[in-house]
Amino acid sequence: MHSPTKKAVEILGAALTVAFFALPIAFLISVSFKTPDDVLLGRFLPTVPTFENWPTAFAVADLTQFIWNSVITSIAAGLLTIVIALPATYGMVRLKVGKAWLPDFTLSSYVAPPIVAVLPLFYLLKTIGLLNSLSGLILIYGFMNLPVAFWLLAPFLRQVPVAIEEAAALDGAGPLLTLIRVVAPMIAPGIAATLLISIILAYNEFLLASALSQTDAARTLTVGVSLFQGERLQNAGQMAVASLAGIVPVYILALFGQRWLVKGLTQGGVK
Amino acid sequence: MAFAATLGTIGSLRGTGPRRLSWRFLWITPLVAALTITTVYPGIFLIALALSDSRLGRPFRAFSGLKNLAASLGDPLFLVALARSAGYAVTSSVVQLMLGLAIALLLSSLVKSGRFLMSFILLPLMTPPIMVGIAWKLILAPAGGLLNGILTNLGVTDAPISFLGTAGLSWLSIGVADVWQWTPFIAILCFASIASLPADVFEAAAIDGAGTWQTFRRILLPLLAPQLAAIFLLRLVIAFKIFDLIYVLTFGGPGFHTTTASFHIWRRALEQFDVGRAAAETLIFTLVVGAVTLPVVWLAKRTAAAEAGHA
Repeated sequence: MHSPTKKAVEILGAALTVAFFALPIAFLISVSFKTPDDVLLGRFLPTVPTFENWPTAFAVADLTQFIWNSVITSIAAGLLTIVIALPATYGMVRLKVGKAWLPDFTLSSYVAPPIVAVLPLFYLLKTIGLLNSLSGLILIYGFMNLPVAFWLLAPFLRQVPVAIEEAAALDGAGPLLTLIRVVAPMIAPGIAATLLISIILAYNEFLLASALSQTDAARTLTVGVSLFQGERLQNAGQMAVASLAGIVPVYILALFGQRWLVKGLTQGGVK
Repeated sequence: MAFAATLGTIGSLRGTGPRRLSWRFLWITPLVAALTITTVYPGIFLIALALSDSRLGRPFRAFSGLKNLAASLGDPLFLVALARSAGYAVTSSVVQLMLGLAIALLLSSLVKSGRFLMSFILLPLMTPPIMVGIAWKLILAPAGGLLNGILTNLGVTDAPISFLGTAGLSWLSIGVADVWQWTPFIAILCFASIASLPADVFEAAAIDGAGTWQTFRRILLPLLAPQLAAIFLLRLVIAFKIFDLIYVLTFGGPGFHTTTASFHIWRRALEQFDVGRAAAETLIFTLVVGAVTLPVVWLAKRTAAAEAGHA
């Protein structure tokens, strides 16, 4: 009807959306090249870009160690999540194991805010000697992200035609072999999306890490950055560098995995 | 033949009875064990902790009965924090569902550039909340913040505004950072729901001469209601988890103005080390989360059932 007006509104809307979602990251990049005096001017772009913040931030805070800790922890936790979630989801969706109660129980365990688990897990890790260790965090993250993994994987598994599994069964393949050889390759995009999201959730986590891992050797990046805020990293430029350094690994992951991520999130988990 | 028959008998023997059941249970055993550690055990442990006099370094010093629970229910600071958590969860979920739906409509009408926009808005979702907080803190800072710089240069304000240090503005600031982080997720889910609707309904509406608003109001919204209810529920659950943004942006301040239940409990446990009391508060908080979410679960199920009834 009002086609030109509608088009204009759409373009304006798209421009505003891009501007709003780009702003914080663009400003972080800009501030990372500002001197402390330049920051105080409150302008968007640096007057004269300085490159000093980057080496200084890495020198005053052990950013490399923190990033490494976060990367190791999140990848190991993501793999643990998949190894547990894939057979369990297959068991529930296709073999009807625990179908009456386990899906609801799994999803409802996601409802409790993470603060609920902080104290119990603190004492658990303390008892088994895994407090302040990456292994402790890997176990906890690997377990905590299971409801999300189930939520993401189930729609993919439901779409696999039953006939294919029946054919595999006729060929004498047991359910485990069918899952590994036949079903898993078919839902590879779903597994990739679930793995990526599990890794990112573990990488981004802060609250549990802040309570469960309080030594420098086992500190993850989110905790490290929050601690050095205003302590060792004195100026905004260095803060921006530390934040960007932590963001880069996830953005690289998102860039390479964007196709799977979009597919994983749009597969219809809310139906 | 006899050999094959024997094999068959063994096969069918293996396939029946309680033995088969126990083998099948192996599929879900690791998941059940993991959920026991993350959900069942914390629940039991918190109840025990709440009934005791406990410090962080020395838990379970003495049995204290309902003292912690009574003290928590009589603590106005905690009760206000609970109300803030619930109020923020509901408000932010309503706002983000509306914004997310608007962006989703934009994504579905801009076919080609919509795909680029979709990949682009994945980034906020992937950004660690701590870093989101730092980025917005730099934008909102009174000294050298981008927003104050713009407002001063435009002559709108004479003195810099302390967005994070002023009562009402501090919540607004947290809300904006939260919108930045989570609205893309809502938009992507809404987009997927719109894409799953039958196209012929919209074609029929266009032929009948229905305008954009009419199509939205009379066709899209009713068809989408069950999915929107489910998305709202998911967002509500996520909203109750907010912690990192508050930790970085306001640390619960100014005063206790942005202290949510999670943040209140965190300070009680890890700053005051009173874990008995913190456990009691956590139990009450869990009940409040349940009380706010359950009606929405019911609503989502009812809309889905009503939709199925129509079809």
